[in-house]
Amino acid sequence: MKLMSRSIHRRAALAGFSLLALGLAAGAAQAQETFKFGLAMPLSGGQALYGQDQVKAAEWGVAAINAAGGVNGKKLEMVVLDTRADPQVGIQSANRLISVDKTPAFISAWSAVVKAIAPVANDNKVVQLSVGANSAEIAKLGDYTYTTFPLADIDITAVANYSATTLGKKKAAVLYINNETGVVAAQIYRDVFTKAGGQVVAYEAYDPKASDWTGSLLKVRAANPDIIHIQGLVSDTPQVIAQMRQLGLQQPVSSYSAVYNPKLIEQLGKAAEGVIATSLAPGLESKPVADYVERWRKEVGREPNGLPYTQYLYDAPYIMAAVFKSLDDKKLPITGENFRKEMLAIKSFDLPLTGKLVINENHTVNKPVYLMQVKDGKWTQLAVVN
Amino acid sequence: MLSADIIAQILWTSLATSSYAVLFALAFALVLKVNRVFNFAQAAMMTVSFYAAHATVALAGLPSWLGFLAALAGSLAIALLIEVLGFRTLRRRRAAQMFVFIFTLIISELVAYIAMLVFGTWPATIFPSLFWPVTLVGGIAVSAWDLPAVGAMLLAVAALFGFLRFARMGQFMVAVSDNPDLAELYGIAKERVFLFAMVISALLVALAMFLYGTRAQVQPTTSIELMLFAIAATIIGGIGNLWGAAITALLLGVVQNASVLFIPSEWQGFLLYVFLFLAIVFFPNGIRLPQRSRRLTRKTPTPTLDASPTSDPQKV
Repeated sequence: MKLMSRSIHRRAALAGFSLLALGLAAGAAQAQETFKFGLAMPLSGGQALYGQDQVKAAEWGVAAINAAGGVNGKKLEMVVLDTRADPQVGIQSANRLISVDKTPAFISAWSAVVKAIAPVANDNKVVQLSVGANSAEIAKLGDYTYTTFPLADIDITAVANYSATTLGKKKAAVLYINNETGVVAAQIYRDVFTKAGGQVVAYEAYDPKASDWTGSLLKVRAANPDIIHIQGLVSDTPQVIAQMRQLGLQQPVSSYSAVYNPKLIEQLGKAAEGVIATSLAPGLESKPVADYVERWRKEVGREPNGLPYTQYLYDAPYIMAAVFKSLDDKKLPITGENFRKEMLAIKSFDLPLTGKLVINENHTVNKPVYLMQVKDGKWTQLAVVN
Repeated sequence: MLSADIIAQILWTSLATSSYAVLFALAFALVLKVNRVFNFAQAAMMTVSFYAAHATVALAGLPSWLGFLAALAGSLAIALLIEVLGFRTLRRRRAAQMFVFIFTLIISELVAYIAMLVFGTWPATIFPSLFWPVTLVGGIAVSAWDLPAVGAMLLAVAALFGFLRFARMGQFMVAVSDNPDLAELYGIAKERVFLFAMVISALLVALAMFLYGTRAQVQPTTSIELMLFAIAATIIGGIGNLWGAAITALLLGVVQNASVLFIPSEWQGFLLYVFLFLAIVFFPNGIRLPQRSRRLTRKTPTPTLDASPTSDPQKV
């Protein structure tokens, strides 16, 4: 009995192994027919709201490439894994993409996750393409982490320069949230505005837990600035602007990409008029973007959460496809090392929803900044700063 | 810089925004006084009442009074659940105070997580617009939100005061808070009193959260942050002292807002913790009070706390 059961076990194991071997062989055969890359995004947890929409955008991107004939006739294949926006889970996903799916490159996002994965990407010489994380440190994570998304200082620099030079504002007040997001960006604004010939007459922080800003705003009012720059979060900035207008501060207001959403206008009504925000991707005035948003409305019944981010995610597979094509044309083996070299050699990519992208050797990118302004209850493009 | 109109404006806005802070502190202090529980689950009541109002008014497009009723219903439902399924069971098991405290923490985090899954992390409001029209009264900007909010707060405080002072259940509550076992000997149903304290706390929370949500944006974790302020006010005001907590909430708001004029603005948030630290280190009575009062009441019928409520047990 015992003997029999052992032989059955052995037979089962043998069958299992052969099946596995067959599967692997099939997988290898398939791998030759497709170009595979990974996508590690939060599909569950608190950030899933954004992550899922971004994955959908990337899937549309891949589908569009494949519908147009793929890469040199071969299909582009995307392996999607969940990170829960958690660094630890992100590392597990990266390990799986590298050792099981054997992708030469993968896309990730969320600064904490990108930072955690970077050493894994470096050790295995697999390219991590950060699409959406904007911490300035992303540029310093080693040879194998690149970003397609402009890092933190680009839009703040643009809005400070524009205020001082084009708008001709001489005195600015800066009101910022006292956390990592606010402190660093407020310093950048102050430095750039001062360098451009302006003067920062009030520089006020506020507590991230604050729900009332009277004291700081009255101090700003006393300094009598020409323009007020608010560096807050999407959760507090509309309230700060509302309270500012209630206290009689009528100066123009500028902010950054966090406030560029239709909700601001809904929440502030007329008080939103004239508010300047930044966007790192073209808005609805661009035909492809308008069509893309229309597709969301039709297929999903709403606009995507974090529209500009989803535009970047839609475009990311196009970068993958361009590098794979170039490697395939040159008959180079598809490895992480070759992928990196080829990506830097191509350098400039023309992308459908976010326009031209230049990936620099120093791990930053060049992208135009779109300055948006609320006019007659709508976001309209004020200027494009290169 | 320090002109009269700036000071007057800060005082007025702080009074207006303290409307919800006072109610949060009262709700927290009441449960602490009567049920002897550091009820962190108040954040769960806050979250549920806000999202109930948000779903009714912002999502379903129903009138605001229905939203207010939904906030009340939501807050009451979760308070009853916490009391009946949680606190009552834990009391029956004679669970340690720390265990009850951890239970309340878990409930508040759990509800925040569920709210995140259902409503997402995007900040939400009850009304689509956050902007309230302003009238200038002698150089002071008074928004259309300010007066109703302060009025509602004063009414609620007066009602609570009257209830504790004159209603039979209110007097029972004070008796139980002084000495639950003695109160039981006098024939007061302790469990009912605990339940009632949670109900009143839920009503205060719903009103306060409705006021907050009509003026500010709320995320699932906002309530936990707002709670910290209520806890600070309760500790600094002296544990077991309801009106002390309410007045501290009001004063803390004024001090925090006015502090910007005297100290660098980055230190504004830090101030709350300085006060908390000072209160805990130099006024330990604030924290040890309930235990000591219990010991004292065994020896003498009148505990040291609050003069008005403690004289009530004899009347009962």
